[in-house]
Amino acid sequence: MRQRQGLIALAFLAPALVCLAVLRIVPAISAVVESFYSESLLRGGRVFAGLGNYTDLLSSKDFRQSVGVTLLFTVLVNPIQVAVSFLLAVLFTQRAAGARLWRTLVILPIATPPAVSAVIWSVIYRPDGLANGVLERLGLPAQPFLTSPGQVLGSLIVLLSWIGVGYWMLFLIAGIQEIPAEVREAALLDGAGPWRRMVSVVLPLVRRPLAFVLVADTVSNLLVFAPVQILTKGGPNGNSNLLMYDVYNRAYAIGDIHVAQAEVVILVALTLAIVAGQFRLLRGDQ
Amino acid sequence: MRRNLLALPAAAVAAALLLAGCGGSSGSPDGSSGPAADPGPETGTITFTGTDNAETYQPVIKAFEAKNPGIKVTYTQIPFDQFNATMQQRLSAKDAGIDVYTVDEPRVSQLAAKGFLVDLSDLDGRVKGSVSEAAYKTNRFRDKLWSLPMWNSTQFLFYNKTALAKAKVTPPTANPEQRWTWEQVEAAGRKAMQAGGTKYGLFMEQPEAYYQLQPLAESLGGGSGIEGDDALTPAVETDGWKKAMKWYGATFASGLSPRGIGGFQTGPVFANGDVAFFVGGPWDLKIFGSSKVDWGVAPLPYFEGGKPVTPTGSWSLGINPASKQQGMARKFVEFAALDPAGNLATTSTTTIIPANLEAQKQYTPQMDGFSGAKTAGAAAITTYESEHTAVSRPVSVGYIQFEEVMGKAFADIRNGANPDARLQEATRQLTEAWKSIK
Repeated sequence: MRQRQGLIALAFLAPALVCLAVLRIVPAISAVVESFYSESLLRGGRVFAGLGNYTDLLSSKDFRQSVGVTLLFTVLVNPIQVAVSFLLAVLFTQRAAGARLWRTLVILPIATPPAVSAVIWSVIYRPDGLANGVLERLGLPAQPFLTSPGQVLGSLIVLLSWIGVGYWMLFLIAGIQEIPAEVREAALLDGAGPWRRMVSVVLPLVRRPLAFVLVADTVSNLLVFAPVQILTKGGPNGNSNLLMYDVYNRAYAIGDIHVAQAEVVILVALTLAIVAGQFRLLRGDQ
Repeated sequence: MRRNLLALPAAAVAAALLLAGCGGSSGSPDGSSGPAADPGPETGTITFTGTDNAETYQPVIKAFEAKNPGIKVTYTQIPFDQFNATMQQRLSAKDAGIDVYTVDEPRVSQLAAKGFLVDLSDLDGRVKGSVSEAAYKTNRFRDKLWSLPMWNSTQFLFYNKTALAKAKVTPPTANPEQRWTWEQVEAAGRKAMQAGGTKYGLFMEQPEAYYQLQPLAESLGGGSGIEGDDALTPAVETDGWKKAMKWYGATFASGLSPRGIGGFQTGPVFANGDVAFFVGGPWDLKIFGSSKVDWGVAPLPYFEGGKPVTPTGSWSLGINPASKQQGMARKFVEFAALDPAGNLATTSTTTIIPANLEAQKQYTPQMDGFSGAKTAGAAAITTYESEHTAVSRPVSVGYIQFEEVMGKAFADIRNGANPDARLQEATRQLTEAWKSIK
């Protein structure tokens, strides 16, 4: 009986397992294998290169810069997005007039595909665009948002936060709304002010959704691609050349698929290392 | 809590695997397309992929379908900025969903070497007799013909008549013998800005594209940027390149040209009357016709002491070796490129020059009237440039890498990078990128 149940369960799971194998595991193994080969257009043929693609990458100035830019971006964008999402979630769970309307407005960008958002922001960031128009109204000088090596990463972070915070906020709102009313009342009776209630009551009780948001946000930000492709192409001077875009550029623009696959393996390893580090930190707080 | 946290790394691994999933292997590297492919069915629907709007190809598709009952052609547009990378991805995955596609001429050699094009050498004799020598040569690689030239191009200097009149500047004439120098354009552009006629003095339609910037360096004798027997040695640090890029970077640093406006947002800047001089292609002769600005056309300028050089070449048509309907695909490319009526139909909505000489003969005289008096002289300029000043982009198996690396270098120089240092960087990047080809 138990064996039959197991078979039935397997039959139900089979389509998902087949998909997982065909769409995920096989390509992943193929990427790792291909990363050890190289191909010459002039000589022809595919030859085993061992770790050659990896050493080429590590000795490439452009690749090292790309890793540096990606790490800097990760360190900046994730805390900013998680903090803003949390603050917005706290704000929009207050009983205030129009909170629902504001919440909807913040969530709206999720419905826009990233490529469309990028096109909208390309117009906003133009020298004669909306952003500089606002600055001009405020009596401030025009800014070279996407054309200055110093501002480009910040400009991308603003754009990505505009797209992302509404989405992450949803998880945190759900978490906050799950906090039992009696806990809030107890805190109120104890005379805790709004700040104290947020730090000592809300924050510890939404740790679970917060942990999820941090990890999922980190992974999603390591995969950022469309805005870089559409707005900056990694420039100026490689200052927005995030790894995911560099992989794409190497694979499909420059056409060096084997080195690109080696870079994918490195990006996956980097993602896993960062996520594992975050788990370690979170586990310490259990 | 613990169970949930354990589920999270699984999600991360899944995301990581998703990342790893991109890739695929390229086709036969020796450039052969293998044994003669099965021509496939005689009737059905073929897919044609390119960068232009669907309306561009409607007339040729309609004419082809009328002539070939039973064959339907559906057109898929991929935006120009994403075209090359997307095609690289789909062709390397042996995607049979593409039968015919547009091929940028300098990319023919690499696409052929990678096995992304069907050998069309049996059409060699017909192509040789029906297109210009330059167009014929750029579609050949390793003594075989890989694609059929569909269009040709040139560049014009468009000028805003009202803005120049306000600045009391006599506009350039359409006579190629009296073409302006870049120095003259720069001075006149600044005058127009000072007089308050326009926001900017000069702007190029594709400010980060090799196609449009090659003439700057070549005008100063800087060469194409590629040299060597195998055409895989970078040569972008010549005096001509350095001088041209210094001048180009300065046009943005001084505000003569605007930074931060991308490739295909440039035309509207001229059409809105915000720039005095604009460098654009034959397609603009009709596009700008609907603008309220009063404008005219002149030949592309050159540097003082240098020689006039203009870009040329455009899209060809190629067949995907993975296509299961190569017989029908072949009929379509032959009609669109080699049949004068078919080739002419490809240019009836977008004003681009047909590559077929017979079609060109009928087409060029019409160019003067595309936008009334504003386009006067365009036909004579086009004929003159193709005979005297047109220089093709270099033929190299590494052209794709070259174009990508140079595009990024132009973007950086435009945004304020030191031209000499950036060209040196480009040499390093090209050497690195070409290492895997050699």
